[in-house]
Amino acid sequence: MRKVLIFCLVLHLSCFAQNKELLYNFTSIPQSSLVNPGADVSYKYYFGFPVLSGISANVGSSSFSAYDLFANDGVDFNQKVRNVINKSSSNDKVVTNQQLEIFSGGFRIGGRESRSYISFGAYQEFDFFMFVPKDLALLALDGNRNYIGKSFNLGDLNMKAEVLSVFHVGFHKKVNDKLVYGGRAKIYSSGANATSTKNSGYIYTGQEPGTPNLYNQIISSNLELKTSGIAKFTKDEYEGNIARDIANNTFFNGSLGFGVDAGITYYIKDNLQLTASIIDLGFVRQTKDIETITYKGTYQYNGANPDFLGSDDPENVFDEFDKAIPRDTLYNKYTTWRPTKLYSSIQYSFGEARPDDECNCHGKVNKYYKNAVGAQLFAMSAPRIPLFALTAFYRRNIFKKLDLKATYTLDTFSNTNIGLGLAGTIGPVNIYALVNNVLEYKDISKASSAAFQIGINFVFQDKE
Amino acid sequence: MRLSSLSKISGILFSVFLLFSCSSDLDFDQVNDFKLEPVFVANLAYFDIPASRLVDDGGTNIGYDSRDFDIFKNKFFTERLKRADFDFEVENNIDRAFVLNMLLLNDQNQVLQTISFTVPSYKGTPNVIKYPTEVFENARLDLLKQTQKIGFVVIIAAGPPLNSESQGNLKLRSSATAYLEIK
Repeated sequence: MRKVLIFCLVLHLSCFAQNKELLYNFTSIPQSSLVNPGADVSYKYYFGFPVLSGISANVGSSSFSAYDLFANDGVDFNQKVRNVINKSSSNDKVVTNQQLEIFSGGFRIGGRESRSYISFGAYQEFDFFMFVPKDLALLALDGNRNYIGKSFNLGDLNMKAEVLSVFHVGFHKKVNDKLVYGGRAKIYSSGANATSTKNSGYIYTGQEPGTPNLYNQIISSNLELKTSGIAKFTKDEYEGNIARDIANNTFFNGSLGFGVDAGITYYIKDNLQLTASIIDLGFVRQTKDIETITYKGTYQYNGANPDFLGSDDPENVFDEFDKAIPRDTLYNKYTTWRPTKLYSSIQYSFGEARPDDECNCHGKVNKYYKNAVGAQLFAMSAPRIPLFALTAFYRRNIFKKLDLKATYTLDTFSNTNIGLGLAGTIGPVNIYALVNNVLEYKDISKASSAAFQIGINFVFQDKE
Repeated sequence: MRLSSLSKISGILFSVFLLFSCSSDLDFDQVNDFKLEPVFVANLAYFDIPASRLVDDGGTNIGYDSRDFDIFKNKFFTERLKRADFDFEVENNIDRAFVLNMLLLNDQNQVLQTISFTVPSYKGTPNVIKYPTEVFENARLDLLKQTQKIGFVVIIAAGPPLNSESQGNLKLRSSATAYLEIK
């Protein structure tokens, strides 16, 4: 019991939301093409510092924070758990995403005047999504005594988790000064997947006049948990290192899938830019070590019912229950859809500047804008209803090789989410750090969501 | 120029990371205090015997039945059960008095405990009797946990004879309340 709780909390605390509002369209970072393959990114070639080019993590919980549970304030822990459950609703979610770029790179194809680029890379990703199972938590905390007449909804159980690696190749092209488009193909290799998103049923205890028994007690269950790459760890005879085996499966022996990204950047005017992208439109066909467990059926509990007829009618509650709601194990392959993300932005630039520290030998004026403001929209597919976020941003070119982006984001998790991002280039070395929810960092434990991303790249441009 | 901008950039980046270090005093050991104390109610037993089934000659008679009651075979439940309450109500619409005994039996059919109810005869007005709650704690709870069967003994006191035309019913309804402690 305790172990399960700790596991849930650790999962909750070590994981992160998927909106990369700071990275999106932050084109001085090559990785911004991962959230818009049609981003206006240019280079002669670049490669990411292996393993350090893109580290991101994101945790979000729409109803509670670590502080609510673990504050060292003398309040009884069980009371805190109760408070958290009471203020949660079954539509509150706990979302986590973590990505680690293993390697990445890109290069321009064609000659010096060409503006077509190929990029490639691999990254590892962990996703977790869960709705707060409020009804079941209440049942575990309080039992059914104070809830006569209430149906505890088994549909509150709704979660999915996946560890996978992604290998990708992308192409983008700046067709002219107005339009950039790009696309990316991805091969997913899923090392472990657990999906339980189509549950329904109820646990009911009622008192109805006219019924012979004191209570009308019914469990109606339609539960299903699909797993891939996990079943063997649950067997008694398994002796191994779960982390190592999952990592191995993720990269070398996973269930395979395919997906695409696509995006555009369009300059309506010189200083008015529109972008849009769709990321991870794809699926994984779960085929490795698959196991689906179901509990389907209806059971009514009546207690002991003697009839004084001398009949020997053995009643065995557990056998009856098992017969009514049997545990079935199936071994069917199944398909999971990746959480698909949609981004769009509009950006207005102002404060025209010219690079004054370099002589303009080519006679071509490389003017640029020091400031930009705009809005971004984010949507992600999720069980039940999609997640949405709206971001306002300001981007400032502090000096030529250092850019700052500040964002204000409204979403399910927070309405005070201010993010700050910096990207600087020294010679070929490009370093970036993006942190959201900065207001919460004065006390990170009270944050209901947090995300950061850092990375180092080597970017080579044409010599001027 | 490059060196100074390098230090500037790394300085700014470093200060961003410094922001990570602040956090309230959290005590994760509190998880060790975690315990659930749910209280569940469930049906225990019921019966509804029509008078016509109790055909007798007017003397004292005994009816008996027993049922398997295997909830305590479940270790998870039994180990965490801290207290149990049984509540009973009996409705008698038969013109005879009864004594109702509920026997808690172990797997050898030995009687562990007997709970007894006296039921007065029907006098023409509805009479649902709620009996005092039977509380099982400590030693009595340990006995309860050995229960594998429940026996029901209906002792019919002498009175007007009953036959297949007799009206009325003897009804029992009962519930159990289980207090669990899950750590």
